[in-house]
Amino acid sequence: MKKLNRRSFIKGGLATTAAVTVLKEKKSAASGDFDNYPEGMGVIVDLTRCVGCRSCEAACNKEQNLPEPEVPFDDFSVFDYMHHGEKRRTDETAYTIVNRYNPPEIDHPLFRKVQCNHCNEPACLTSCFVNAYTKTPEGAVIYNAKVCVGCRTCMVACPFYIPAFKYSSAFKPQIMKCIFCYDTRLKNGEPPACVEACPQEALTFGRRKDVLKIGKQRIRETPGKYVDHIYGEHEVGGTAWMYLSSVPFDKVGFDTHVPKEPIINSVKEFLAMVPMVLTIWPGLFVGFHLLATRKDKVREMEKEAELKKTKENDEKEEQA
Amino acid sequence: MKLFSNERPEIPIAHHTKEDGSAWTIKEKLWLGLSVTEYKKQFFRNPVNWFMIMLFAIGIPLILGRYAFGLGWVTHASNDYPWGLFLGFGLFGMVPLSASGFMLGTTVELFGRKDFHSIERLALLNGLLGYFFAVVFLEIDLGMPWRLPYPMFVSLGPAAVLFLVAWHVATYLSVQIAEVLPAFFEWIGWLKGKRIIRRYVLGLTVAGIILSTLHQGALGALFTYAPAKIHPLWISSNFTWIHFFVSSIFGGLSMVIIASTLIKNFMGWRCDDEFKDNLDYVTIGMAKGASLAMITYLVIKLVAVAHDQEWTYLLTGWGSYYMLELGVAVVLPMFMFAFGVRNNWVTLIRVGAFIAAIGIIWNRLNTALVCFNWQMYQEIPHWKEVWITVTIYALYFLTYRFIVYRLPIVYEWKGEK
Amino acid sequence: MQTRKKIMRTALALTTGAILFAPGHLFAMDASDAPETVTIDSLAKYYTPVEFDHLMHVGYASCEECHHHTTGVQVADPNCLRCHANTPEADEVSCVGCHAADRFNDTYLSTLDDPRIYHIDKPGLKGAYHLNCIGCHVIIEGPTGCQDCHAMTEAGEKLFNTGKHAPAGGTSSGAKH
Repeated sequence: MKKLNRRSFIKGGLATTAAVTVLKEKKSAASGDFDNYPEGMGVIVDLTRCVGCRSCEAACNKEQNLPEPEVPFDDFSVFDYMHHGEKRRTDETAYTIVNRYNPPEIDHPLFRKVQCNHCNEPACLTSCFVNAYTKTPEGAVIYNAKVCVGCRTCMVACPFYIPAFKYSSAFKPQIMKCIFCYDTRLKNGEPPACVEACPQEALTFGRRKDVLKIGKQRIRETPGKYVDHIYGEHEVGGTAWMYLSSVPFDKVGFDTHVPKEPIINSVKEFLAMVPMVLTIWPGLFVGFHLLATRKDKVREMEKEAELKKTKENDEKEEQA
Repeated sequence: MKLFSNERPEIPIAHHTKEDGSAWTIKEKLWLGLSVTEYKKQFFRNPVNWFMIMLFAIGIPLILGRYAFGLGWVTHASNDYPWGLFLGFGLFGMVPLSASGFMLGTTVELFGRKDFHSIERLALLNGLLGYFFAVVFLEIDLGMPWRLPYPMFVSLGPAAVLFLVAWHVATYLSVQIAEVLPAFFEWIGWLKGKRIIRRYVLGLTVAGIILSTLHQGALGALFTYAPAKIHPLWISSNFTWIHFFVSSIFGGLSMVIIASTLIKNFMGWRCDDEFKDNLDYVTIGMAKGASLAMITYLVIKLVAVAHDQEWTYLLTGWGSYYMLELGVAVVLPMFMFAFGVRNNWVTLIRVGAFIAAIGIIWNRLNTALVCFNWQMYQEIPHWKEVWITVTIYALYFLTYRFIVYRLPIVYEWKGEK
Repeated sequence: MQTRKKIMRTALALTTGAILFAPGHLFAMDASDAPETVTIDSLAKYYTPVEFDHLMHVGYASCEECHHHTTGVQVADPNCLRCHANTPEADEVSCVGCHAADRFNDTYLSTLDDPRIYHIDKPGLKGAYHLNCIGCHVIIEGPTGCQDCHAMTEAGEKLFNTGKHAPAGGTSSGAKH
């Protein structure tokens, strides 16, 4: 069966085409685009207002029924906590944390609240192969533990190091991450628990486009108070949670090197190539095959002809 | 390995019937034609098996512990480094080293290079087992391993690169099973099955090329989700997938050279003359192909640095590390291959293949662990994580050996085929 | 000393203001119109109500520093002056008159995209209190700790896992990785 006859060629071709069609259908939505929700909610975090009282952490802990903390929420020694040279981050016990920074430019510390920034085009969502993440029209990026496989690609993809994994659980592990209090508050038109708890209104909640306007107004009307940048306006394609700061953002723990476009854009180079390979490769390689094995076939035909000839000659000789 | 005495000329089994004309049963074939006591004796004579026993004595409880107490029990449970050795080595390292199946399938079936026929089955098996154990590693690492079919049937996220990887690895695993099945059918003596598969071999081969191109590339593309976390020299949204694909070509070829070398040296009794006589020739041929893939790889690496304007990074410490990786893992074996090919020096090629294969793993670990979070601290895997990784790899080795001992992989079945 | 200076300065400012802008400020309030103490209890839940000594604070700040333009005293912020240069005394001068307790309710938020509204960034009641108080306390080194002004209640201790509700310690697992 080494010889490629017409039938097996057609069969092979058909099988490949079928495989391609099936796979192509799966990949047709691979552009990674989805609607932005113009009426989505957002929060602007004003670092100049935050006093590091950790009320937001406490409120989040209760609202989301997270485990009891190791130390009380009015214990400020946590600001000195370091792990591998890094300040605290979100983990399976905390969806939000506040870190203290002492930028040399100013004579007092600044506090930065960390939580999910609820990107417009979330990397966690676009990298998830079981569709566990949803960006709701209200602006929240929520997570469905029921379909999650636990591959943790979202944690790799998140440019802000937000999703955490419940490593401690063997049978019910899941991603742990801020969901903008979607279930209990946001979908009812209420602000998340942290915003409500903040005494300083360092967290200003509203339509994303409105809080963006608020941020710009603060920068414009209090000259010299803020650096002229709203972190999250354009970072990774825009985030629902944005930040105002009085010092350059890299001085207070922000990654200022994140791309200005959605994370999925850096994957698009590959995704664009997928349909090409799927459509061009089968024909190309079957063609190669026909070209490469042509010599063999010619040789076989020659052999057959020769055999015939010798046979004929033998017959002639016999006759003679 | 001197396994079989001169008194038992019928062993190793390569035929359906014994000397006396009666048929081998499947059970006898499984025991290699030995009695249980004989089998045990040869098993415990082998020091490798003692090493394995010690490895498994600790490794198996650790694996059970991982399922009983969660990933946090065996890893550092890092949220900053979500992927550790299980994926960094097991998935990202094993898969490129298993590109051999599609490489030699293509060479023999598609390009009609019959002269590589003697190594084709080993390459296919190497591919199948590599992929299978990559999935085993994945099953260790997944938070909810019982949900493995979810991306296929339960909740589909078709826009994600990992979705493509999942589908392609699953499909390709089936393709590779189909490609290795003829050897199994010969062994059990079910020739109808073999004929059925033979009919679709071209389709399977072409499917193999498509699936391999895409998912080898996709594994690289997975890292483009973290453009700001991985050191720029190791990530490029335009080229990383090509780097991963091209390096899998020489990775897969190197792995077949390694496997065939080990088999030739330690399993000589199992190889037939065709395999042994042709091995130097096919090794040189594969080295030729690998060195061509390597030079292509180096060029595209250079293009990526130029395209992304990363020349200044080369002058930093990371740049030195980058050049060290390219030098030791690619340039060195490339010259060893080229020199070996030119001078028919097969031993040099074999040593080069070892270096190249380890180099591939080094590159994948660099991308997934060392240069990941390059501006942060460095994660050192937990000892339990290392032990489990080695245990699974040993299991891969044992399965590999088990199959090569029995199925007509490196020898031709003498019975009906 | 500082206190006295501040009072003097405020008085001076008030007088100057009154003289310079007399016509618009005929009805401006002064400290004597204010209550001596104000009990701030509308938000009390996690903390006890605050007995705010208004009389004492009058010594530290002029009316408009806390009440903006509502008392009829001219504001200092040039940005406010653009509209409120001649704003007379308002009907309502208490904080809650302008600063809503539920500042983030959806009905209010949906009005904010009206381009005619200037005050899109008006803090809610809790924000107004704290921003005003702490903002000044930081500058003049007044008390800034939470419990310096209001003691934590039982509910507060529960929320903050402190006092009676302090964690036993070492209970949470898998954290800090």
